[in-house]
Amino acid sequence: MRNLLLAFRNVLRHKRKTLAVLLALIVGLAGMVVFQGFLTEMTHAWRDQSILGGVGHLQVAGKSGYFEDGEFNPYDYPFLQSSQVAAQLAREPGVMAVFPSTGFVAMAGYGEESTSLLIKAYPPERMFFAPNKGVLKAPSDRFSLGTLQAGNAIRPGDRNVLVLGQTLARVLKVGVGDTVTLMAILPGGQLTGRDFVIGGIFTSPQQDNLFGYTDYDTALDFTQITQPPVLDVLLDGVGRVSSVVASLPAGLSFRTWKDLATTYVQVNSLMTNFLTVIRRVILIVTLLILANVMNRVVVERMREWGTLRAMGTKKRDILALVVWEGSLMGALGGVLGIALGFGIAAVINLRGGLQYHQAEQIIQILVRPGLNSMLVNIIPAILVGGAAAFFPGLRAIRLSPAECLRVE
Amino acid sequence: MALIKVKNVHKVYTLEKAEITAVQDVSLEIQSGERVCLMGPSGSGKSTLLNIIGCVDQASKGDIFIDGEDANKLSDARLSDFRNRTMGFIFQNFNLIPVLSVFENIEYPLLLQHVSSKERKKRVTDLLDKVGLADYGKRSPEKLSGGQRQRVAIARALVTNPKLVIADEPTASLDHATGKIIMGLMVEMNRSAGSTLVFATHDPTVAEFAGRVVSMIDGQVIEDRSRS
Repeated sequence: MRNLLLAFRNVLRHKRKTLAVLLALIVGLAGMVVFQGFLTEMTHAWRDQSILGGVGHLQVAGKSGYFEDGEFNPYDYPFLQSSQVAAQLAREPGVMAVFPSTGFVAMAGYGEESTSLLIKAYPPERMFFAPNKGVLKAPSDRFSLGTLQAGNAIRPGDRNVLVLGQTLARVLKVGVGDTVTLMAILPGGQLTGRDFVIGGIFTSPQQDNLFGYTDYDTALDFTQITQPPVLDVLLDGVGRVSSVVASLPAGLSFRTWKDLATTYVQVNSLMTNFLTVIRRVILIVTLLILANVMNRVVVERMREWGTLRAMGTKKRDILALVVWEGSLMGALGGVLGIALGFGIAAVINLRGGLQYHQAEQIIQILVRPGLNSMLVNIIPAILVGGAAAFFPGLRAIRLSPAECLRVE
Repeated sequence: MALIKVKNVHKVYTLEKAEITAVQDVSLEIQSGERVCLMGPSGSGKSTLLNIIGCVDQASKGDIFIDGEDANKLSDARLSDFRNRTMGFIFQNFNLIPVLSVFENIEYPLLLQHVSSKERKKRVTDLLDKVGLADYGKRSPEKLSGGQRQRVAIARALVTNPKLVIADEPTASLDHATGKIIMGLMVEMNRSAGSTLVFATHDPTVAEFAGRVVSMIDGQVIEDRSRS
């Protein structure tokens, strides 16, 4: 306690030197906090975009193997008890929606043009297409499948209506109101076909050249499937996944958003590693500056060390005093840097966050540094402060008290 | 038994590969309660001998016994405890800790002894009163004059009731008049505390405050005389 008090006063005593160290640490850590807050929100936004873009928090199938080879061969994977499971899951806390989905591969033709595509089908009330202007605010109880460029989304009661990707529409040379013919192969090689009206055209990066959407009942009817192969589950947050998975009846097959959003998981891990490297660079720079400052402080105060030791202070207490001073500087810089970072984040958020454009939509990213960013920044700052002061501290006790007292 | 027993002490420094003998074969005995002045010009070895007696420096050769303890045989940590309990130091440049108040500077050696807060307050207040700084306890040492700083240093040296007080050129940073006042105070307080005072000076007028003067030149004692 005595050493801590002395160290604290000494930190305030060397104002200029303390300021030099603090500036390096404050600027570095404030930048780190803002950057970390931005990246976290960015990756979370991306994660949520993937989840709500058709991945779902959780997908539940009635038979094992569906997720390996049944996605576009749903005939062999009927989910017989899907209604009961859906009702049970809907009662779990945090569950926003449970709904069936299916899909199939088809050949689309219009006049002289044709192309293959993947059809995904959901209940109409679970499909959301954003308007093509303004700030995107996607609902969390349905899939956000893209931005509507023309026409309408599929409405409840619509049958044989298709919302087609813009690139596919361009290939087929179709527009809203045109009728395309879809053909698919049923089990046993039987060919089925039907006309679909283009109800809307959507854009979505890397989706609109491959996908078309229709309503779930039309898809069941078209593919002659009687039972849904899979249930999609949307939750109020990724933190709910494990508890909902734990509530699943035995024997069902499932996969979570993490299994599906593999690119997100990889990029998130890359970003985390990147942040760690930046944090280490900041801390190493601080360590070098602080070690240099503490070295000068120790040399300037040689006579003080001699006096303290003459009065009976032990070497280990002198060392502890110097290390405390370094640690306090680290702590002070850490606290101020983090506070500044949170302040900058608040100002950015008050001004509407950081924005970027996706197609014609504006995506808003708020900067939300988490509480964990306090710990991951402040603890290393304190440790680095102590480590930087350790060797100068050894220098303070290396000489005899008389040698220290002789230093001018 | 002598409080201080110095026997055939040598101190040799190595400076840029050259050996410099600071103290050469000095033997000395100082009795408890004595007031001894080590006197000599700059470089005579008086401060080095004082540092060896104060256990803040080690002799290259020879024996040092302080209050019956063989200083050469004590570990660094035990030597620290020994200095804290047995000695008080007064320095030429006062050497007060700038981040501590006057009160805290005097209190510091007692903190090392884990003396209770009540007792610390009593002793420090008493000493502040005796050195004429009763109203200065909360002040920073940097806001005091040289004479006042040295009074604080005297109080700090005496607060643990040490058997031995070591003072190295205690008046060298003060003007003549203040120096005389400080020496008078130091001698008076030392006498009333019953401790042994050993101080070094090059100033004959300061040496007059001693009961015994040990003169040194080139690291050797050339004269050891008692003053009546």
